[in-house]
Amino acid sequence: MRQRFSKLWALAAGLAIVQAVVHAAWVFPLWQKNFAPKQGSYEGLTSDQMLFAFAGFRELIAGILWVRADTFFDEGNFDAILPIIYLVTRLDPHQIDVYDTGMWHIAYNFTDEGSRSDRRYVPSAVALGIEGANNNPSTYELFYGTGWLYFHKIEDDYAEAVKWFEQAMTKNDVVTARRNILNNAYQRNGQVDKAVEYMFKVLEDSEAAVKADKEYAARQNRDTIENNLDNLLVRMAQRGEFARASGHYDGWDYDTKPPFDVGFSARVTVVEPKVIQVEGTWNVLPVGTRVRIVLRDSDYPDALPAELTWNQGTAIKLDPPKGLTFMQDQLFVKNQRFSREIDMSRDPNMYPFTKQKYLVEFYYNPRQAPAYIQDKFGWNGEGMTDKNFLNTQIRPGARVVYTTMELTREQLLRTGEWKEKVPIQQTKNFAGFGSKQLDDNVIKVPGILSEPGH
Amino acid sequence: MNVILAIAKTTLGEAIRRRVLLVILLVGVLFVAIAPALEALSPRQELTVLRSLTLGVIQLTSAVIAVVLTVYLIPNEIERRTIYTILSKPVRRWQFMIGKYLGAVGALGLMMALMTGIMLLVFVVMGKSKDVSDLAMLAKVPIAFFIQMSLLAAVSVFFSTFASPIVNFFLSGGVYLVGTMFDSFFNVLTKETQPLIVKIPATIVHVIIPNFQSFNVQNSVINPTQVIQNETMLYVGLSVYAVTYISILMILGIIVFEYREV
Amino acid sequence: MSLAIETKDLVKSYKSKSGTINVVDKLNLQVEPGEIFGFLGPNGAGKTTTIKILLGVIYQTSGDAYVLGKEAGDIEIHKQISYLPEKPYYYEHMTGFEIMQFYASLFGIHDKDKCKSLLDRVNLGNDMNRPISQYSKGMQQRVGLAQSLLNDPQLLFLDEPTGGLDPIAHIEIRDLILQFRDEGKTVFISSHELSDVERICDRVAIINKGEVVAQGRLEELLVGGRIEITANNCTDATASSLRDDDTLVSMNHGRVIVDIPDSHSPNEVVKTIQGAGGEIVSVIPRRKRLEDLFLEAVTVDNRAKGRTIGTMTGKDDGTEADEVTA
Repeated sequence: MRQRFSKLWALAAGLAIVQAVVHAAWVFPLWQKNFAPKQGSYEGLTSDQMLFAFAGFRELIAGILWVRADTFFDEGNFDAILPIIYLVTRLDPHQIDVYDTGMWHIAYNFTDEGSRSDRRYVPSAVALGIEGANNNPSTYELFYGTGWLYFHKIEDDYAEAVKWFEQAMTKNDVVTARRNILNNAYQRNGQVDKAVEYMFKVLEDSEAAVKADKEYAARQNRDTIENNLDNLLVRMAQRGEFARASGHYDGWDYDTKPPFDVGFSARVTVVEPKVIQVEGTWNVLPVGTRVRIVLRDSDYPDALPAELTWNQGTAIKLDPPKGLTFMQDQLFVKNQRFSREIDMSRDPNMYPFTKQKYLVEFYYNPRQAPAYIQDKFGWNGEGMTDKNFLNTQIRPGARVVYTTMELTREQLLRTGEWKEKVPIQQTKNFAGFGSKQLDDNVIKVPGILSEPGH
Repeated sequence: MNVILAIAKTTLGEAIRRRVLLVILLVGVLFVAIAPALEALSPRQELTVLRSLTLGVIQLTSAVIAVVLTVYLIPNEIERRTIYTILSKPVRRWQFMIGKYLGAVGALGLMMALMTGIMLLVFVVMGKSKDVSDLAMLAKVPIAFFIQMSLLAAVSVFFSTFASPIVNFFLSGGVYLVGTMFDSFFNVLTKETQPLIVKIPATIVHVIIPNFQSFNVQNSVINPTQVIQNETMLYVGLSVYAVTYISILMILGIIVFEYREV
Repeated sequence: MSLAIETKDLVKSYKSKSGTINVVDKLNLQVEPGEIFGFLGPNGAGKTTTIKILLGVIYQTSGDAYVLGKEAGDIEIHKQISYLPEKPYYYEHMTGFEIMQFYASLFGIHDKDKCKSLLDRVNLGNDMNRPISQYSKGMQQRVGLAQSLLNDPQLLFLDEPTGGLDPIAHIEIRDLILQFRDEGKTVFISSHELSDVERICDRVAIINKGEVVAQGRLEELLVGGRIEITANNCTDATASSLRDDDTLVSMNHGRVIVDIPDSHSPNEVVKTIQGAGGEIVSVIPRRKRLEDLFLEAVTVDNRAKGRTIGTMTGKDDGTEADEVTA
């Protein structure tokens, strides 16, 4: 006996509409809001990894991959680690260690033969940090890590460092010992008042901690914070910060007065193809000055004076931009001069030199200077000047030294008309080292050691 | 109703004695039990990996059991000719099918309860849970899985009314995979930039396929960072959704089965 | 009282690559209430298919089928019939008693004593708490019979009830079936075990290729036995003279065997042989057996339709093919 099932068909159709509505209007939105994995992109996985990931083993796969990455670290196979970091963070966006290690790895570990790191990667490290922080908003770690990138690796854009550290400090799990970093970041960003205000608050918290917990660690912590705050206040007094605030700066003597002329000059010689000799003068006697030098394509995308736009959005690139050249190094000043050979001939991937025109930038920002130099120059360079190259534009709020030179591809590669001739670019005031000795193994301090020959 | 219950009870009794299912179950239980040994894979994330792994094993094992259990549900009856002794009694085909399905779901529930129990035991014995509420949070996830697997079982019971067991195994497995992954693709396929010829079919598939992804609530337990709102509403919603969808599959299955010559 | 089973021009056809195959072809059956009806035919004749249609498990392509006066497949008549499939396997994890309880619950019967007494009746009372997996084939078949009696059916369908059983089990089953008739039940037996059927059936239908080729009371169908006359010292000429349309003669080294229908008188044959110097050894009257009838009916049918014996024919369900050996 065959039957017709028109009623059943109708019922099924009706229920089909019900299920669609229940899912679209009720279940799916709730799930997506509260239960969906934050990331959960599967691109780049092999099919078996993908199957496992779908089967609910995302975190396990991530863990296994990360253990694998560890062996690559041991072998020094850094290139193999990048894709793993990428995959792991895609599979399990809560692997804080992987984000943290990954950022550090991308920013620091890709270097040329002379241990200069490949700055073209840094935007990817920043992007990874931002992504990690967004995916793990309940822990301070990745906010701290991203701030640290700006503070320590980029050594510029201190406002960004402050922004990230400030967020890190709002998290419940922040370690007390790490709170001082925001103090330093405020200072480097020129926000000394903020630093004081912040340190007083930290001190207050540590006093409370001592009351609650009489353990040695709490007291030691409190003492360290007190010390740091004392130092800060003494330096502010020495550098005339209080006087400036109260309008007495011009009337009295301070270490930062009058501004000291650093007497910068420089010469770049292309001694061999892709090898440059950089020399110059810097009139500061104490050791500890590092002048930044950048050599890059003159049309490098997103380039800023003596740096890049480090935050380039969320794209994490596993390969650096092909065909672009960006070299950044530091020139150490000893005996009031610097001299350094920079060899870019052995790393064609990092320094492809495909463009016609190149820009050489020299840059010094007193915000990065050690405290004993800042005692003279001030936090923002108010105690520093340079007759030729003082610049108050490129870093708002700071007085920096900045100048540029140009080189062509033919000059750098010593081809064409420069095959036999030695290309030399120099600042107008470069006059050689004069009486200054070339032996950097001995640091001369006038009045302490006798001059040679005596 | 008595008829359905009698068939369900017999089906359950038979299912929990099926050797292949017991082997799968044993593998699942073993994995759950040894899961703590694998936490070395992820220092500092031990708890995350342990939760993820045990829940993952329970889910995967349950899915395999759900499909293997149900693909043979009706074909076996036909092969053994027991279906004739049953259908020649005053039993309607829909009663037979629903009884078989309920029995299978019951067996599945028992097996999943066993695995969940072992998981909780592991957490207690290894000292991985802070308190009872921690365990309760963990135990809630398999409930969502159970609803999910009941839906999966209905899918494969539906297919079993016209497909052979092997074909059914892959069909059901495929539906499960697509139903689990589709959301990942859905967002890409329905982007503004996609042409309508991609968008429309993607939307239709999204509406039609049983959405298994929404039952995967383990993420909130594996990474308990955010405050979950409306959890009860989600579970209620999932149940309503599953019951509706299972009803559709049963109705379609009954229609096919009524026409089928067994 | 209406017929227990009646089919009118029942057709069941399957489509295959080579065209449409009629597994049941214009089948007309009438089964009286209270009789044991034998439904006979070679493998692939359509027996099981017919039973499945009568049970409503599959559907006819055309024609009508009535069971207990109602259209086949009506769920109401299922309360009054029961079916024992050919070589069934039961849920092996259950004991005989559990199986009985399960089937009883399908009728809404929750009477443990009834289950037990039925098992006693099929002589399984002592084994009812053992799992089915430990039962012999005969025991399983008896469980099947017991469960088929749960609803005290008016009509029983037994598909090859003695298939694959040893001789003692045969007898046990046969006795049970005879008891059913005494209780006034109608029994519909499909079988190719002719000796069993012959001993118990009131009426039979023989089907071949889905069609009834003979139907009626056994006594009527089996009229017309034969007489076998054996003699020695005969010549070929004598043997040849005896041959005619109804007489079969075989000759071997002077020994002749003459087979004549019992409508003929053996006297003439005896006289002819003796007259030619032959020596009569024996004159044995032989009743017609169901086997003869079956062979005759099927062979005549096949010949009439131009089929050759031993060709490949479809199985009951029309799927595979089996060698027909009948």
